[in-house]
Amino acid sequence: MTTFLQATFDGVALGSLYALIVLGFVVIYRATGIINFAQGGALLFGGYFTYNVSTSWGWNYYVGIILSVLVCAGFSVLLQRAMLQRVFREVVGISAGLLGWATLFYNGTTHLVGLSGGVVIGVLALLATARIEARYGDKGPSELPLFGAIMVTIGVLFIVKQVVASIWGFAELSVNDPWELSTSRVGGLVLQHSKLAAIAMAVLALGVFFLVDRYSRIGVAMRATHFDHEAAIAQGISTKIVFATAFAIAGGVAALAGTAATAGPELITPNLDFVVFFAFPAMIVGGLDSPAGAVAGGLLVGWIQNLVKTYVATTPAWFPIEDLDWLGAGFERVAIFVVMIIVLMVRPYGLLGTEEVRRV
Amino acid sequence: MNADSTSESTSAKSTPARLRLRPARATRLRLRPARATRLRLRPATKQHVRYRDDLRLFPNRLRRAALAGLILVWAFIPVLWDVPPFTLLSGNGISLNTLAYAGVFSIAAIGLNLLTGYTGQVSLGHSVFLAVGAYSTAYVGSVWGWPMLLWIFFAPALGWLVGAAIGPFALRLRGNYLVIVTLGLVFIGEHIFRNWKSVTGGNTGTSAAGVELNLGFVDFENLSLFGKSFGKDESYFWLIWFLVAVVAWLTKNVVRTRPGRALQAVRDRDIAAEIIGIDVGIAGYKTQAFAWSAAIAALAGALYAPLQLFISPGDFTLLVSIQFIAMIILGGMGTIYGSIIGALVITALPRFIDGISADYGVPGVAAKSTDSGLVSVASLNVIIYGFLIALFLLVEHRGLAGIWVRIRNYFSTWPFSY
Repeated sequence: MTTFLQATFDGVALGSLYALIVLGFVVIYRATGIINFAQGGALLFGGYFTYNVSTSWGWNYYVGIILSVLVCAGFSVLLQRAMLQRVFREVVGISAGLLGWATLFYNGTTHLVGLSGGVVIGVLALLATARIEARYGDKGPSELPLFGAIMVTIGVLFIVKQVVASIWGFAELSVNDPWELSTSRVGGLVLQHSKLAAIAMAVLALGVFFLVDRYSRIGVAMRATHFDHEAAIAQGISTKIVFATAFAIAGGVAALAGTAATAGPELITPNLDFVVFFAFPAMIVGGLDSPAGAVAGGLLVGWIQNLVKTYVATTPAWFPIEDLDWLGAGFERVAIFVVMIIVLMVRPYGLLGTEEVRRV
Repeated sequence: MNADSTSESTSAKSTPARLRLRPARATRLRLRPARATRLRLRPATKQHVRYRDDLRLFPNRLRRAALAGLILVWAFIPVLWDVPPFTLLSGNGISLNTLAYAGVFSIAAIGLNLLTGYTGQVSLGHSVFLAVGAYSTAYVGSVWGWPMLLWIFFAPALGWLVGAAIGPFALRLRGNYLVIVTLGLVFIGEHIFRNWKSVTGGNTGTSAAGVELNLGFVDFENLSLFGKSFGKDESYFWLIWFLVAVVAWLTKNVVRTRPGRALQAVRDRDIAAEIIGIDVGIAGYKTQAFAWSAAIAALAGALYAPLQLFISPGDFTLLVSIQFIAMIILGGMGTIYGSIIGALVITALPRFIDGISADYGVPGVAAKSTDSGLVSVASLNVIIYGFLIALFLLVEHRGLAGIWVRIRNYFSTWPFSY
């Protein structure tokens, strides 16, 4: 029984992390109808930014989290404008910024100076392009086909990952979090403080999100845009602002997830973005367009993953096959994909997602 | 003549008598078509007068000349690769071996284009099918010692079966959901390759050095032609690019005939395709597209194994799938030659950057891990993939093939830009 409860607690902690990640996907999916793979990049960037603030700058860890959430939200909005609305000036701005950072760094400055110089150069380039565009006409955003949009986000994910790796290196780094390895014992259970913190972060972020989504003007606007895009525009809702808000929320949530994933005994590496891929089953099981589904799917999949992990390692007595070692290390990560495929075959739109009506 | 006289009589009713002289002049002017026919030797635009012309693979002299040129290039490149104009490439990291890899990836990219470009089913799982071909060839070729003639058909057959087993999932899912399921396939596949140690060798991988590469009358490891003997690089180049041509020809014939039109109808709107009577059921076109695409990828895998000599799960990761997608996006979705161009560029570019930065040094790029620099060559290559995918999709979503078509159309009507 203790084994089961322990697996459940760890599962809930992992599930909260998944719920945070999936919430970012769901918010963007509701606004734009695509799965934004670049969320992985935002998560990575957020995690490393928190690390940078708390370790390299030596500031308070909680300040780091807040700063990271804000920076990541802005970063995510910029990415959205650049990749999904084909806004030329942001593309120029980001490229010029990267180039400026590269040149400065190569000429012997530190990363921080290079980065801030790059930001300045990027913003200047952005403003200049905006001026030129204002004078010579703006082609405006146009729609990409679904496949194209997804592939663009994957391309951006790879770029962001390599840029992050170039800044902070490939080594495993320890973030300076206040929880470290401390634990509490309740009954026979071992509760890691970093896992409790992850659960708390998820509860807080999801709570705020659900309140905003349900009661605030922008939340209603977001739901209206998802329900009927054109009707929402006709009612005077600015879809630009709705999209930007969705990406800002997603970026902020991704930064939180990046922080939660690297707290405690975990270390941060540029391969952290893989946690996003393992959150996909949670997203699919819950349903792509349902925030409630994100929570349900996240918790369910996190729980299943930990149960499988626990019981494959120590097979219970009643199980007919004694030794499950042949399933291989890390089988629990495959198991959740199998669960995902089974759920998809039964309910192609997830547990709480809306079924898409197919028209000719 | 008959038609003229009737038009004369009808016009006579409404026109004044003075103008009735005109038809006679018009008849004299009809001498012109003879000259026009002669001019049509260089048609201003693509003109197909008969249906038969429209169905030909190489419709005009230019295309036939291009084909002959390509065959010549294929035959002579291995011999001439170290001679001046080519040293620009061969001296900078692009060896014959690189071209052989590009050929293998061309075959796989053609398979992916059949599935994604023509049938519209996005798949991130293409590296798994490549792996199925590679591992099965390594096993039956070196453990069971099968001859080349057997394994070169066995791998695609196995790939076909795996693809046909995956295909039905695509019937129930579309768009975003299909992307995620094929992503899951990559992880499941990688787990199997890492843990089915008796066949795949686990994490360390397995050797394909024992795979036999001769057809009895030609031995591709020790080829002698016209009294000269050629090494492995040259003969692999000939073998692999010959197979690229065969696969491209077969696939082209599929996509330009009835099944190809059915696939494209499914791509454009699957329900509409179903309504006009195209079979999208369990044994229908979607499943078959998956199966054949997987078979082609497995053939590429079968050639990859003896080329790579040692295969491990690291060769078949998600990044490899993304590379294939980059190839077809860069080359051009829904074109066969686009897949080949894309594969050439995506395979050669990293080696070229490698070669350039090792020889001359590129500012900010560390050629070796010990050098100081902003990004490593490996990172830069991944950044370039990502950048190329995003750039082409945002700026020219038809890829290099689209750019080529635009240039061709411009010059086919040159100097008139109508």
